[in-house]
Amino acid sequence: MSLFRGSLTYARFFVDPALSEPTTGNFADRFLEKLAAHPFEPLDPEGEAAERIGWCRVGEPFETSFIYEDLFFNEFMNIGFRLDRWVVPPSLLKAKTREAETAYLAKKGRERLTKKEKAELKDMVAKKLRKQLAPTTRIVDLSWSLNDGIVRFFTHSTSVGAAMSELFRTTFGVTLVPEAPYTTAARLGLTADEETAWADLEPTILVTEETAPRERGAR
Amino acid sequence: MQLADKIEKRRFIGREFLLWLWFESEIFEETLTTKKHGDFGFWIEKEIVLSAGKEATRIKGTTPAHAREAKEALRLGKMPERATFRLVLGERESGFFLKAEALALGALTLPAVLDDGTAPTLGELGAELSAPKKKKKGAEDEAEREADGKAEAFFDRMDLTQEVEGILQELYRDFLALRLGASWEKIVVPALRDWLAGDELDADRYRVSRDKAVAARASR
Repeated sequence: MSLFRGSLTYARFFVDPALSEPTTGNFADRFLEKLAAHPFEPLDPEGEAAERIGWCRVGEPFETSFIYEDLFFNEFMNIGFRLDRWVVPPSLLKAKTREAETAYLAKKGRERLTKKEKAELKDMVAKKLRKQLAPTTRIVDLSWSLNDGIVRFFTHSTSVGAAMSELFRTTFGVTLVPEAPYTTAARLGLTADEETAWADLEPTILVTEETAPRERGAR
Repeated sequence: MQLADKIEKRRFIGREFLLWLWFESEIFEETLTTKKHGDFGFWIEKEIVLSAGKEATRIKGTTPAHAREAKEALRLGKMPERATFRLVLGERESGFFLKAEALALGALTLPAVLDDGTAPTLGELGAELSAPKKKKKGAEDEAEREADGKAEAFFDRMDLTQEVEGILQELYRDFLALRLGASWEKIVVPALRDWLAGDELDADRYRVSRDKAVAARASR
């Protein structure tokens, strides 16, 4: 499922127009600069980071340089969000850590490990295993409709949506509001009375004591 | 009330919106109307999921909302969590599922579109496939054509996506006009209860009352 082919599954986020970058003047150059400051950078097996996020081109996860033609489609700005994560199979990590612990104890001529030693060995084994594995990669298309302040993010995953929102805020200085019954209602415009009514809303009860016996009687 | 509470504690409104869409689609014989779009076909197809807490009822079929189990689930206190809809506006036909609590669209399928906004016929598609391919001018031209085609396809997809979103937005606007006013308890809830109980419902009378309430909100 992507921006350019197949069916579309996406979550919408609203951009407060007051907080949004004005799309006048050389806004495209500014956006390109901001994206260039937050490109996706691959995970380092020796590094401390367990996951990494960044921007890439739509449909080209390894392409992290941005040019106007690939990004802007009239009033839309299209980018790829990439999230890489180290996923070492727990059973493999456990077995290899035990092996390393046994070897360490034999070398030191001891019977027990300290808590710190255990943690260090586990970390060392995890880093070693990362060199033999590829990180899991997730790429999600994003389309920012600059005229109406809507970001369409092509997944329903709330955790990936939250990671993207954070990167979006860091990159563009804009806070995204996820679509929900209230945020959509507020965007459509609620009067003061309706705001009060919203705060007092209770779920509608469809089956009452009066209707329930009639239902049972009908069966 | 804090903003987070307005969002999180009122997500059930999304489920009530789905229920209302189901109800109106059924009593108005699968033809809904908005002031902006006029009449269009709108009905639940393929799947509806109703739930309350951890208990869920998933019904699949051509017209799952007509299945006995669907209203039975409502009577047990379950509310629609997600439903797949078919939308027919003029020549254009789309399908999608709607997740109630996030109002999120999924599996949105869009019709193929020609320049005049109509879907190609099978004959036209066949002719296109059998037509001899034009000789490529050069790699540069080819890349340019590809980029133009990509952009055109994207704009078509966005136009149609925005059309579907626009219809849902207008439906939600009408729903809110009813839900946030006195007409919900006065007009809609009694009609919903009759519909659920299988009692006879005067759809025309309901339409007049709800239209009046929606129009009153719009004129404010």
